[in-house]
Amino acid sequence: MRATRSLSGTTVSSIFTLLLVLCITLAFGSSATAKSASSTGDSVLVILDSAKKVDYSIFLQGLEAKGYTVTVRSPRDESPLLIEDGLPNFSHVVFLASDTKNFAKDISPQTLVELLTLGTNLVLTLGLKQNLLTSLAPEFSLLLPPPATPLVSFFPERSDSPSVIPIAFDTKSVPNDTFSVLSQVENKIWFSGTPFALSANPLLFPILHAPAESFAADLSDSPGLVADALADAAEKGGEGFWAGSTLSVVAGFQTLIGGGTGHGNDAGPGEDKQSRVVWVGGPSLFSDEFATKKVVEKVETERGKSVVEKPSGNEQAAMDIAGWAFQEHGVLRIDEVKHHKVNQTDAPETYTTNDEIVYTVKISSFNPTTGKWERYSDLKDLQLEFTMLDPHVRTALPAVRGQKGVYSTTFRAPDRHGVFKFVINYKRKGFSHLLHTLIVPVVPPRHDGYPRFLSAAWPYYIGAISTSVGFLLFSAIYLAGEVKEEKKSKKE
Amino acid sequence: MAIHTQVWRAVYGKSADAIEKSVENVDESIRAIICIPRLFPFTFGHVDGLPLSNNVSPTTVANTASLLRIVAFGLISAAAIASRLFAVINFESIIHEFDPWFNYRATRVLAAKGFYEFWNWFDPTAWYPLGRVVGGTVYPGLMATSGVIYNFLHYFNLPVDIRNICVLLAPGFSALTAWATYMFTTEMKDSSAGLLAAAFIGIVPGYISRSVAGSYDNEAIAIFLLMITFYLWIAALKQGSALYGTLAAVFYFYMVAAWGGYAFITNMIPVHALVLLLMGRFSGRLYVAYCSWYAIGTLSSMQVPFVGFQPVRTSEHMGALGVFGLLQIVAFASLVRSHLSSKQFQDLLTVSVISMGLLGAGAFIVMTYKGWIAPWTGRFYSLWDTGYAKKYIPIIASVSEHQPTAWPSFFMDLQFLIFLFPAGVVLCFRDLRDEHVFVIIYAVVASYFAGVMVRLMLTLTPVVCVSAAVALSTLLDIYVDVAEPAVPENENSSANGTGAATADAKKAKKNAAVGSQAGPNAAAAASSTLSDIVNAAKSSSKSSPSKQKGIWGADARLVIILNAIGMLVYFVFHCTWVTANAYSSPSVVLASSNPDGSQHLIDDYREAYYWLRMNTPQDAVVMSWWDYGYQIAGMADRGTLVDNNTWNNTHIATVGKAMSSPEEIAYPILRQHDVDYVLVIFGGLLGYSGDDINKFLWMVRIAQGVWPDEIQEPNYFTPTGEYRVDERASDAMKNSLMYKMSYYRFAELYGNGNAIDRVRNQNIPKIGPTLDYVEEAFTSENWIVRIFKVRKEDPLGRDLKSANAFAQGKKRKRSKPVSRRRAVV
Repeated sequence: MRATRSLSGTTVSSIFTLLLVLCITLAFGSSATAKSASSTGDSVLVILDSAKKVDYSIFLQGLEAKGYTVTVRSPRDESPLLIEDGLPNFSHVVFLASDTKNFAKDISPQTLVELLTLGTNLVLTLGLKQNLLTSLAPEFSLLLPPPATPLVSFFPERSDSPSVIPIAFDTKSVPNDTFSVLSQVENKIWFSGTPFALSANPLLFPILHAPAESFAADLSDSPGLVADALADAAEKGGEGFWAGSTLSVVAGFQTLIGGGTGHGNDAGPGEDKQSRVVWVGGPSLFSDEFATKKVVEKVETERGKSVVEKPSGNEQAAMDIAGWAFQEHGVLRIDEVKHHKVNQTDAPETYTTNDEIVYTVKISSFNPTTGKWERYSDLKDLQLEFTMLDPHVRTALPAVRGQKGVYSTTFRAPDRHGVFKFVINYKRKGFSHLLHTLIVPVVPPRHDGYPRFLSAAWPYYIGAISTSVGFLLFSAIYLAGEVKEEKKSKKE
Repeated sequence: MAIHTQVWRAVYGKSADAIEKSVENVDESIRAIICIPRLFPFTFGHVDGLPLSNNVSPTTVANTASLLRIVAFGLISAAAIASRLFAVINFESIIHEFDPWFNYRATRVLAAKGFYEFWNWFDPTAWYPLGRVVGGTVYPGLMATSGVIYNFLHYFNLPVDIRNICVLLAPGFSALTAWATYMFTTEMKDSSAGLLAAAFIGIVPGYISRSVAGSYDNEAIAIFLLMITFYLWIAALKQGSALYGTLAAVFYFYMVAAWGGYAFITNMIPVHALVLLLMGRFSGRLYVAYCSWYAIGTLSSMQVPFVGFQPVRTSEHMGALGVFGLLQIVAFASLVRSHLSSKQFQDLLTVSVISMGLLGAGAFIVMTYKGWIAPWTGRFYSLWDTGYAKKYIPIIASVSEHQPTAWPSFFMDLQFLIFLFPAGVVLCFRDLRDEHVFVIIYAVVASYFAGVMVRLMLTLTPVVCVSAAVALSTLLDIYVDVAEPAVPENENSSANGTGAATADAKKAKKNAAVGSQAGPNAAAAASSTLSDIVNAAKSSSKSSPSKQKGIWGADARLVIILNAIGMLVYFVFHCTWVTANAYSSPSVVLASSNPDGSQHLIDDYREAYYWLRMNTPQDAVVMSWWDYGYQIAGMADRGTLVDNNTWNNTHIATVGKAMSSPEEIAYPILRQHDVDYVLVIFGGLLGYSGDDINKFLWMVRIAQGVWPDEIQEPNYFTPTGEYRVDERASDAMKNSLMYKMSYYRFAELYGNGNAIDRVRNQNIPKIGPTLDYVEEAFTSENWIVRIFKVRKEDPLGRDLKSANAFAQGKKRKRSKPVSRRRAVV
């Protein structure tokens, strides 16, 4: 009896502390944000069996060291809820319970998508068995191999099982305009899990490719007979054989800001929150086991081949993946947009056709080490569009020398009146999207705004003047003539 | 009047012009009529108890008549204004219909910011994103008039709201129209006909339909300007006065600034001048009147920005220019004739007329071909071929005002005037002075146009009123006239006894009446009472053989008079009834009656527009069919894609395409045009037939005109060719955005019962349409206005249909990777 009472007492007190923590978090949300490395918030929920918490201690401690507050929730637990009263409870969610089949009611594919629309970042790890993520993956344009087909590779030769693979990160595989998430990882990364193919969704990009020699196959049914397994896999996969470096094991996804009409809330940067998702083929990438597992490599030396043991890159990779997902890196924003006529400083309500317009934008990037936004001048391919239905002007928006984070251009308004939009639409993989629309009417010149006394109009001026003079002369002569006639008639 | 002129000529051998000039002054001719007792004292001997004393002085009589006319005219004005106030009394002081909402909005800008800002006003919310240069695409006369009144009142510290000025402008101008019609008709016959015409135009439904309180449209002031311009033209023509010609030009300029229908004047006056020329009635008067009108009128009309150089560049204005040129030639020819012998002149004339005609026609053709003169516009062609618009420009045909007029509407709008109208025209033929030619041409042209387009009933109405007034006043002149031609003492008594020529009775009566007028007119001219009596006696004696025949009996006259009065009374009742029931609805507010007979107002439009105003961002863009563009701009103050100023057919067709396409095709169009909300009018619940589903085929047709490959009208009918909205509706119909938005969740309203569309009397399927790309934002009380919000793109980059399917828990088909075994290029 006493024991239960005290137990309930502790529960109550723990709820109170939780509430208190929550209140404090809410109250000092902004200040707390500054402490962590993320640009969007520092509360992390890890969905993980509490029994397995010890398996990921290095990763979780790494997060806490960066200033995150980590909460672990078992997949079957009813609390803490992901979304409460329409608001997300956490800034970031890491989904490590990939082998779990059944989840609490509020953890569903729909909730996870809703979290994204609310601005929560996700790290999702796939398991070998089917679960809710299997049905969620197609929504992100991920193509999964048939269930229970892990990635296997027999290269390089090693003592481990073929499904535990060391993958080297190749910097060259990242295109120039894409943010390189794993650029700081030097060592090979241990991976074990499902690979996936990426279909042509511009929001999705590979972070880590599968090795060229690897393929997805189920070797458990036919131990030893690899050839059979290969044939099997090819048959299961149908037309597409799940193999090679086109498959990815880690992929990033940046959600889209819908909108850009430039009206109401849609004007300017928009209230839409961008969020990021990282899909990882297996949770073990984050595990202590892989973080400490050495990579055995045969290095050719002058004396022939020698075996070298290197530490794995998993710990660094896990922090980098989480770091990108939690919006630490590659986060841009538009601070300020200015536009005005050349030689003026204030923005007019309307422009006149053929005005010379100066457009200036200030862009910042988030620095995770200081936790502050800093002006950012490194965008090389920023463009400005001046749009009415179609872009009438599309011009480069280069960085201004000497002014950090300032991009500016001067262009001439088209000879066409209408409601135009200044549009910045900068979407690069791995960077947060920059979308800014600003409506400005371009009007025809005022009635007194046209040039006067054109040289081309002289025939008309002469015509008008000569007619007027002629009329006056005619009237004068006519009137004079009248008098004469009268005199004549009088004489007669 | 012509008869009396002939009589006059017969007596004096002078030209009629002199007489006409002398009786030009209205007051004089009125006084002349009133002077009858003085000049014909003997006529009163047989009057049945008319207690007019011979002792009353002529000035008193004249003043009394003048006073009576003023009182009568005051009463006419009061009736004209009062009958137009039904709308305010039944509903409230509100702007009506569609176009008035734009005029009202423009007037508010004018009143608030002044004329120059209005002139340079670029409206970025209309025709989004093209915008509208309002100052250059509007006839500013109406707004300027209201603005002047507003500033005038405010100068005298009378803080009248601009809305009330706008609402009451049309009734106020109807009184002025009555006055202008009075002046015009007086020129035709006399002031009693003028008063009748003023009374007719004051209350005739054909004019009230466009000028009730709140109907703040260009026509409200345009009809006044039309009549005053015509009056001044006639006055200028009669007197050969450059002053009146200039005045006509000034009012013509006002008309050009006020209404696109000014082209009617632009062509009526030249046609009149041309006909007079062809009738051989060229005179210096015609030359002076026409040239002063044309030169000043055209130059001033080019000052209106919207008109610009059209008067010298478009075909519609070429007639006026051509007649102007012709008049110069004819004037020159007459000058030459005065210096040449007739034989030489004949030859010269033949050669020059032929060569000049050929030259002119050739030049016209070449200039049209070269594009210096714009070819005729579609609206013009549709005036001649009623099927033209439907075939080539559905946007014009889709306007209900542009439909051919139905027969009953002639009776509805004009009642018994339509029967008197031909009689009046025939009477004009009997006189056939220059101004009567004008009325005849006007009658013919306007009758045709009124038959082609409903809205042109408006231009027919004034001439109907004038003609009917002439006819009726002639009738009354004959039957009411107390100046019974009793046997004068100096007449031979034989006719009195025999009563032989009863067949000529009417004519005799007329002659008597005319004679009685001719006398005083002459009196006014010559101011010689004695000679007048002689003249009257002479004229009487001249027609003496038939003089005594006529309907003298009070009973016979009474039948006719009572009949006429009965018609007039019924006309008043008819006008009142039509005005109260048909033409006083603001159409923004609908009225219906409760079971107990009390009035129930359906205010869905304003409810919805108010919702938009309060719940959407200031710069939101609302897409709707163009009918509602002005109302959304005026009442909801939100941007629109298309509105009632239907200048850009492609933009309207774009909206038509979005409405008639399936959602997934419509969505990119909506996004491209930055549409935030879509508004549809749905009358199915209430039985309101003017809804968008009934207009839908026009949207399809207009869209088909631009995208014939994507939208085809037959697809929206059932295979048997019916226009249905129930289960049997075609797939294109069921999938169209318009259908989906109209019937979205409609069946749910009826629970388990049958969902019936009360406009089309069809059962709506139980499982209604689903919407993926737009979501319902607002539906008004009676479901008349439904507003849908356009959804943003899915954050995951999916199409919204599959995103919705996912959100509802539907599983997506498992997809396989695309084959990588592509041929290496």
